[in-house]
Amino acid sequence: MYRSEKRSLYRFLTIYLLSTFILFSLGSSIFYAYEKHHLLDRQRELLKHEGERIRHQLMLLHKQFGEKLPFPVKKPYESALLDTDRQLIFSTFILPSNIDFSQEYSIKNGNLFLVKSIEPYHLGVVYIVVQMPINAEGITDLKHLILLFMLGAGFFFLIVGYFLGRLFTAPMRESIEMMNSFIQDTTHELNTPISTILTNLELIETLHSCNAKKEMQRIEIASKTLSRIYDDLTYLKLHHNYHRDIQSINLSKLLKERLLYFSAAIEVKGIVLVDTIAPDVILEIDRDDALRLIDNLISNAIKYNKMGGALEVLLTAKEFKIKDGGIGIEEKELQTIFERFKRANKSEGGFGIGLNIVYQLVRTYDFDITIRSTLHQGTEVTVLW
Amino acid sequence: MVKIIMLLSISMLSLLGNEKLINSELERDCLKCHKDQSIPSEVIYRRYLMKYSSKETIREMMLAYLKAPSVEMSIMPPQFFSKFPIKEVSQPKEEVLRKRIDDYIDYFDINKKLFIPAEKN
Repeated sequence: MYRSEKRSLYRFLTIYLLSTFILFSLGSSIFYAYEKHHLLDRQRELLKHEGERIRHQLMLLHKQFGEKLPFPVKKPYESALLDTDRQLIFSTFILPSNIDFSQEYSIKNGNLFLVKSIEPYHLGVVYIVVQMPINAEGITDLKHLILLFMLGAGFFFLIVGYFLGRLFTAPMRESIEMMNSFIQDTTHELNTPISTILTNLELIETLHSCNAKKEMQRIEIASKTLSRIYDDLTYLKLHHNYHRDIQSINLSKLLKERLLYFSAAIEVKGIVLVDTIAPDVILEIDRDDALRLIDNLISNAIKYNKMGGALEVLLTAKEFKIKDGGIGIEEKELQTIFERFKRANKSEGGFGIGLNIVYQLVRTYDFDITIRSTLHQGTEVTVLW
Repeated sequence: MVKIIMLLSISMLSLLGNEKLINSELERDCLKCHKDQSIPSEVIYRRYLMKYSSKETIREMMLAYLKAPSVEMSIMPPQFFSKFPIKEVSQPKEEVLRKRIDDYIDYFDINKKLFIPAEKN
């Protein structure tokens, strides 16, 4: 699966599962509230019956009014009798002090209470308070049922979401495959002619004297540009997953070599190069990656520089900085400058993949990169490691 | 040790004696007449309970009746007085009357009558 496809699939799955989860949570909470209410309703009904039974018993006891009056106790209910001043007459439990006598039913400390006021006041009782523990088992079972349902639904929708996501990203996958196939074919066809041109140029320069030096130089620059594009496209095609040979690279030496490589282009544009390269800066990096990083940054600095502009290159043990006196980048463009196929300025040619490759490399090696740019004044790119 | 036991015994006996004295005073001043004239004091108390519920209110209503007995002030229905005579105005001081009322309420106290029966196996 391609990286962008994977990212799109994850995004789709996240949105899909999150919205499903919210919807199901809402439904489940309504169901839970309804069922809990139903459970409590059943218990309220039981309490009501018990209250009525006690009232009836009180009526009988009032008529008997013997020496001893057996209080009608029935488990799991607890009850209390209170007079008109809410003074306790009799109780089978410790009555909470904060009982609200204005409410018929109330819940306190996991118990359900019924306050039943009666008239006439048999045995002087005005309020019968009946307490029973809330059926926690029923509520726990309900919670378990909902949790099980949520897990089951989550699993089901994850599978459905995955297949939907695959369907959703199928056109993207096809496009990427098509583009990769095109790049593969193009690069394959480009490689041989570019190599032939560059080799023959070197042969002409070495073996023959040529009067058209300037034209030869232009051919050299164009060929090297093509060669770099070929390298970049190959890099993208392999999705950066090729084998990296990490070794100690003398970056100072490599940078000097690359500046020499681009010297023809620098010369043609009349760019004033100021390089400050600390000697023997060693970096643990794959040689090809180091080449790509340096080449892309130098190439951009040349391409987007003004005729006769300045090019400052700085290399220290901690950073590589390249500053051009070119056209610069608008501030809003800086936010998305590392995106693939992004070209902040279309005045020059290219695919807009250079800075994306630089960004991928920086991320791979856990480096830091900063870009500062002022429109019409120039751009400064700093890579820190 | 012997002294302590003796003191405790004397205290207990005096307390029991005092309770008996209270009951006998209630018996002498109130219940005796009720019994002699077959006036059902238990029924009267039940009616008080059923109407006023709280001891405090019952106490006040009884005192008001004892101070100025009348058919209107009585808890019993008017027909009751066609069978039983109305009480004469009580002579004792209010303090004594209150004491007898308290004893009367205590005598029929619901709190003491109610009990939780042992569970049947």
